[in-house]
Amino acid sequence: MEHREPAVHLGRGFWSVTFALAIVAALSIYAWVVAPIAGWLPEAANKAQQIDALFRFLAASGTALFVFVVGYLLYFAIAFRRRANDPPDALGVQIHDNNALEFWWTLIPTVFLVILVVFSIKIWAGIELGPNTGLTVEAIGHQWYFTFRYPQINGEITNAMHLPVGQPVTLRLTSADVIHSFWVPGMRMKADMVPGLINTLHFTPKRVGRYQIICAEFCGTLHGEMDKQWFVVDPPVKYAAWYDAWQKKNSTASNALPVQSNARVAFGAGDAKIGKQLFSQKCTACHALGPFSQRIVGPGLLGVLHDPAHPNLVNGDKATRENVAEILQNGYKGDMGQMPNQTANALSNTDIANLVAYLNTLK
Amino acid sequence: MAVTASQPGGIADHIHPEPQGFIRKYVFSIDHKIIGIQYIVTSFVFMVLGGLLAELIRIQLMNANGGFMTPDTYNEVYTIHGSTMVWLVIVPMVTGGFGNFVFPLQIGARDVAFPWLNMVSFWMFPPAGLLLYASFLVGAPVAGWTEYPPVSLQGGPGTSMWCAAIFLVGVGTTLTGINFLVTALKMRAPGMTFTRMPLFVWAQFATAPLVMIATTALAAALAALFMERQFGVPFYDPTKGGSPLLWQHMFWFYSHPAVYIMILPVFGIISEVFPTFARKPIFGYKMIAFSSISIALLGFMVWAHHMFTSGLAPFLQLPFMIMTMVIAIPTGIKVFSWLATLWGGKIQYTTAMLFAIAFIATFTLGGISGVFLAAIPFDLWAHGTYFIVAHIHYVLVGGSLTGIFAGMFYWYPKMTGRFMNETLGRWTFWLFVIGLNGTFVPMHWLGLMGMPRRVAEYDPQFQTINRVESLFSFVMTFAILLFFINALWSIRHGKRAGHNPWHARTLEWQIPSPPPYYNFKHIPTVLANPYAFDEPVPYAGLEDELTDSPVPIPAGAH
Amino acid sequence: MRAALAADQFYQETRDLRVTGFLLFMVSDLVLFSSFIFAYLYLRNTGQGWPPPGAPHLNLALAALNSVVLFGSGATIHFALENWKHEKFMKFAGWTLATIVLGIMFLSGQGIEYYSLYTVDHASWAGSGIFGASFFTLTGMHGLHVFAGIIYLTVLLLQATQGKYTFKHYTGLTLGTLYWHFVDVIWVVLFSIFYLI
Repeated sequence: MEHREPAVHLGRGFWSVTFALAIVAALSIYAWVVAPIAGWLPEAANKAQQIDALFRFLAASGTALFVFVVGYLLYFAIAFRRRANDPPDALGVQIHDNNALEFWWTLIPTVFLVILVVFSIKIWAGIELGPNTGLTVEAIGHQWYFTFRYPQINGEITNAMHLPVGQPVTLRLTSADVIHSFWVPGMRMKADMVPGLINTLHFTPKRVGRYQIICAEFCGTLHGEMDKQWFVVDPPVKYAAWYDAWQKKNSTASNALPVQSNARVAFGAGDAKIGKQLFSQKCTACHALGPFSQRIVGPGLLGVLHDPAHPNLVNGDKATRENVAEILQNGYKGDMGQMPNQTANALSNTDIANLVAYLNTLK
Repeated sequence: MAVTASQPGGIADHIHPEPQGFIRKYVFSIDHKIIGIQYIVTSFVFMVLGGLLAELIRIQLMNANGGFMTPDTYNEVYTIHGSTMVWLVIVPMVTGGFGNFVFPLQIGARDVAFPWLNMVSFWMFPPAGLLLYASFLVGAPVAGWTEYPPVSLQGGPGTSMWCAAIFLVGVGTTLTGINFLVTALKMRAPGMTFTRMPLFVWAQFATAPLVMIATTALAAALAALFMERQFGVPFYDPTKGGSPLLWQHMFWFYSHPAVYIMILPVFGIISEVFPTFARKPIFGYKMIAFSSISIALLGFMVWAHHMFTSGLAPFLQLPFMIMTMVIAIPTGIKVFSWLATLWGGKIQYTTAMLFAIAFIATFTLGGISGVFLAAIPFDLWAHGTYFIVAHIHYVLVGGSLTGIFAGMFYWYPKMTGRFMNETLGRWTFWLFVIGLNGTFVPMHWLGLMGMPRRVAEYDPQFQTINRVESLFSFVMTFAILLFFINALWSIRHGKRAGHNPWHARTLEWQIPSPPPYYNFKHIPTVLANPYAFDEPVPYAGLEDELTDSPVPIPAGAH
Repeated sequence: MRAALAADQFYQETRDLRVTGFLLFMVSDLVLFSSFIFAYLYLRNTGQGWPPPGAPHLNLALAALNSVVLFGSGATIHFALENWKHEKFMKFAGWTLATIVLGIMFLSGQGIEYYSLYTVDHASWAGSGIFGASFFTLTGMHGLHVFAGIIYLTVLLLQATQGKYTFKHYTGLTLGTLYWHFVDVIWVVLFSIFYLI
């Protein structure tokens, strides 16, 4: 069933349209090349400039391709419509394929994509594989705000993330509850804040200013309100002043203080009644009086010392009074989240003895 | 020498007795044509619901500080909107709907391989939809159609109902996939070799294994989420040793192929509509068929491109970026082939053809923004923003839904024996295209400038653009309303169409409209690929189909 | 004569359809198991080492014995179908019965293991972290498949005694055998990933 393909003549109309489309495509490429992207959205960091360059390339080539596809589509649709004087059974040109044409329209996009891949990998490597040098700052997502931690500053900063202009930064991201995504449109970059994981972004702030930090991953009821904090790029002197002020302000913050003591707790003196009272004041914000799986922040503590399904505590130690007291003294940090230590919770060793006595009564 | 898939006298000749009574005929029918129409009607019902939810979203977003709904209600609304449109509208429409009605007819079969199983598949679908909507009564899920844990582990029983509903509709789709694959492999009429299959058949043939494999992976992910929520079995909760990224891997291992499940059959529709109305063979038949298969295969190797910001190991990111870009090549081949099909045609402007032409433009836009997003550095910018919303809507509304409308106007005469009203059709077309682009084009800009998705309130600088989008979305909704009016009115009042009003050449147009329950009096023999318009229709044994000759007797009559 | 030929062809084609459909169903089921196996391997390799703290020690000897029982049943079901093909009904019934008994033995073995994990090691589905989640979900899913297989083979045996299948037309028996082998193969994988690595 070999068909003889009819000869194909591309007329003057086709070439004029091609020429016109080429001009429109060239103009749109030019428009993207000179587009003031940094004027629409400031480029806060060095990576923003690179990502904008990639975007220019994508937008220019994408627009050119779109111009050709839609241009030919409209031209063919109009030029090859059935006219009023055509017979009702008029047929189009009976061509089935053309190997040369199909070869070229496979090869050209392939070459283009190779270029795009190389270009993308170059920028990507700078973001993903950058060295962990420079200033290291941590950002933590919460329902529904961000907090930040700086080297040698105690406690968490909640209002804004300040960074000095021109200094390389490693930003380490994680979450205290659900997945958030740390996005600064001015930096063009985002990374998810995943509980239990640390993701990093490497960049150098390039432009002094204030940029919105936005959560870009749905994180619960008030996700839409997680756009009210700021990433502030300061001149170095101003940054130093800000840093000193915070360091002073937070010098008494809780999680910096050394643990009061690791002295043995005298369990014999523990009073379960006082412990019960203490528990309702100090513990119930994070722990339920329910089974292990009933989790608020930490696990439910009903039967913490007597649960056959959980012979071990969350830190892997055996569920004994000594080990419970040890967590109460030193706090806990691990895949369950974290619990402040004795000092931060303002617990004396007697309090701990009372609490352990109370926990021991829960079965 | 023609390869014969099925000999006369064998399974292909088997006819079920004509069903008697309303219930057996229209409710618990095992006839693929009735089941196909059941799928289409049910999907459209859910599309009305999902569309209303979409309008609630657009009303909420007309004000920067929301206020029309509480944030929780808003979150429920967009979650159910997305879940409805993906699992209750587009997937069932293009596989169960068009697949069931058209594909067995096009291969010259009397039914699918397992008709009874086909009925069971369908009847999992409406209860699943009702279950999904019933979740509104107890607090619907809020975390979007992707339901990422740990946030989806919080909240009420609605999310578990969501799991169960999607699981149920997924089982139905999986069974349909198995059914179609066996049908495509074993039930083709004598002489219908692979290179003689219509392109819609190729599309279904490529989609069936995707459905069969990917949906099962989703079922596992959903089952695990359900077990974790209901029984506390830890899979995803990091505080119990689970991993939230595990869900993302399992979910996208399904949901990326799902995008191709939603678009490949539509490619098939376009490949049928174009040659019919351009009065020309489809250009590059083999490459279109081959690209469907390669898209289906590549579709399994790109899922983690949804996770570039999640903290995927760097050495895993690159292959996913490259594979994603590779998919652009077969997709491009299709678009170029369709353009070349138009060249030199004698194009008849029916509403179906208008929609098919619009599909090329809107789908290409969605495809181009897809290549943007494949480039990891750009994805770091655009991920999780309205740019993604624009992209997915260009692919699913500008692509799938536009193609579905083309298919509806094209096959409606075959389903009912009557035309849909063309004047009303043209109004639908223009209003739809204007509304579609007015709604979704500005979203690209919003996303890049700083509007994240799934927010009940947003920065006031975006309010004007959002209001414009909302106005255009009302135009689009009105266009879809016109379509429904047209479809309902035309059942009784449409112009009679005859058996082959478009002078189309595939098998379904060679028999009466609507086709009788046995489809073909005699199973035809296929002599060639259907697209050579300058030759006679390439089938033998169809002489009796349009005459009064006696109908075939059900096999065994037991 | 022609009618008989047509009937035979009809049987062959129906058999072809059903076997193909059943194979695809098993592919789909395999994906279900693979997804959970992927989940297990993913959790195992992204957490803080395996076994996670508090995970019980699995009884390799018992599981190995149990595996032998299940593999034995794979052999017996094979003999059953071969005997059917050679038109030896009694031997078919005997081997099928043996398969069912071995299946029940396997499930009992699994029951003993679960019981000891629960009472001695205090392990449970929800309470033992990702160990409980992956081990009990996967072995439980497999156990349900074995249970379904026992019911399936019992029904087939009853149907065979009532003459539903002839020595020429026995698609149902082929499918049952395929299913049982499938369940066997899944166990090979589960045994290796939980007990051997």
